[in-house]
Amino acid sequence: MLAALKVEGLKLNRSLASVLAVAAPTLIAIFVFFNMLRGDEPQAWTMWLQTSVGIWAFFMLPMSVTALTALVAHMEHGPRAWDHLRALPVRRWKIYAAKAVWVILIVAAMSFLNLALTFAAVSTAAAIKPALAPTGPLDLAGQAAMMGRVVLAGLLLTAIQLWTALRFTSFVPALALGIGGTFFSVVATAAKQGVFFPWQMPVNMLATEPWRVHTALSLGGGVGLIVMVVAIAHLSRREFL
Amino acid sequence: MSTFAIETHALTRCFGHRLAVNSVSMSVPEKAVYGFLGRNGAGKTTTLKMLLGLIRPTSGAALVRGIDVTRRRVDAARNVGSLLEAHGFYVNLTGRENLHLTRTLLDVRASEVDRVLEVVEMTDDAGRRVSDYSLGMRQRLGLARAMLGAPPVLALDEPTNGLDPDGIADMRRFLKALPDRTGATVLLSSHLLGEIENTATHIGILSGGCLVLEGELSRLKGDLSPEIAIRVDDPLRARSILRSFDLTVSEVEPNASLIATLRPGYDADRASADLNRALVDAGLSVFEISPRARSLEGIYREVSGVNAEVHTREAMEIA
Repeated sequence: MLAALKVEGLKLNRSLASVLAVAAPTLIAIFVFFNMLRGDEPQAWTMWLQTSVGIWAFFMLPMSVTALTALVAHMEHGPRAWDHLRALPVRRWKIYAAKAVWVILIVAAMSFLNLALTFAAVSTAAAIKPALAPTGPLDLAGQAAMMGRVVLAGLLLTAIQLWTALRFTSFVPALALGIGGTFFSVVATAAKQGVFFPWQMPVNMLATEPWRVHTALSLGGGVGLIVMVVAIAHLSRREFL
Repeated sequence: MSTFAIETHALTRCFGHRLAVNSVSMSVPEKAVYGFLGRNGAGKTTTLKMLLGLIRPTSGAALVRGIDVTRRRVDAARNVGSLLEAHGFYVNLTGRENLHLTRTLLDVRASEVDRVLEVVEMTDDAGRRVSDYSLGMRQRLGLARAMLGAPPVLALDEPTNGLDPDGIADMRRFLKALPDRTGATVLLSSHLLGEIENTATHIGILSGGCLVLEGELSRLKGDLSPEIAIRVDDPLRARSILRSFDLTVSEVEPNASLIATLRPGYDADRASADLNRALVDAGLSVFEISPRARSLEGIYREVSGVNAEVHTREAMEIA
């Protein structure tokens, strides 16, 4: 398994994955920075950090997962590398599992980078305009824990996106699915039923009703893990004609 | 341990209602260069994919060095290196980096990369990105990748595809020498008769998904009826003279040559002398009379049917 992880890491290292990993969180930090500078009254740290986590959870996370899984899959679809990889004396599930592990790790890294960049953006804006310096306690650990739950709740949508991207040679089905899921996540953010919708499970981590948080976390994380295992098993067994 | 590097027993594969490979039982001896021949769509690649465990047989079995590919794919795959039509190189990486990725997955020594690069004479170009490689260089890199870890069996699908004439000649020389250099058995799939004839020690001909002929190439050629090409000033009179001999005049070629086909085992040199004497005694001018070396094309035509002829000629022209 370590060899498969190492190989996937080497391939990703030479792809544009790092650009994507930095670009998506940076966009939110830039938005927060300018949004803060145009205000007249100082706001609480919690408000700025939760705004950032919210935007990440309902829009940028699903879009980033869509783009990242498409990129990971296209590294093999593009050069038609599957036959070579699948003919090697390596258990096929390891190849797919290595891809899944890297996707989850990168999504987690992007999520926490988002938090760090938001902190930097707010601090910079406060330095430029001291009157807007955020008030209240800075609970970075609490926000990091919330972000951790967002990543966990996003596991189901990550599994679905990764399976779709690896299953279909064309990137269109995966992109259409990702764009569609994100669209409904954005236009129906407040919908109660959203707790059962994979693309809205991450944003439900910010809900005030505990049942929504617990339900979305159990479905997104628990079912997400099961779906990921099933997806890897299915991809390993299916014939690639 | 099996005496064959590769064996299949009634190997069959259907795609829906279409029978792509029909009960193929082939045997590839150790250290042979086995030419797997057939037109496009004959089932060569499907058979190769079943041997590599990429697709499952509908029925029958495929064995690599006695290991059942369907039941023990990973163990069987340890014995095979493959070069498939789709190379699957990461073009943004260098040749060496591509080999390094496969080497890591195979868990073989780092020095293997240098060894295989040297074998295919690519050491100087290994630091360049694969996107800058010519098709010939990619084929050689694919061959190098197939040889990582020195597998005892190499399965190569159309290895001369897209190569220029010099590249084809180099590849032929290389493949022919491979069993002696590395001790490997080579399964060479191709639709080009010339390529197989110049490279293979054994052949298997696939037609319509069935293995219609298999054996040692020199023996198969030896079993064919000898032929003598004759060019004279009056082909019509010559034909009537030749009727008195125990042969058939089968063909008149565009340059007015006659082709006399003898019975199998007949001495072609002796027959040439007899025919020459008879024609000269009859007052004909004989411009040419020569036994023809029997080719793989003849074998292929005999076993693949009439329709194969046009295709064969095209393939020979391409080769």
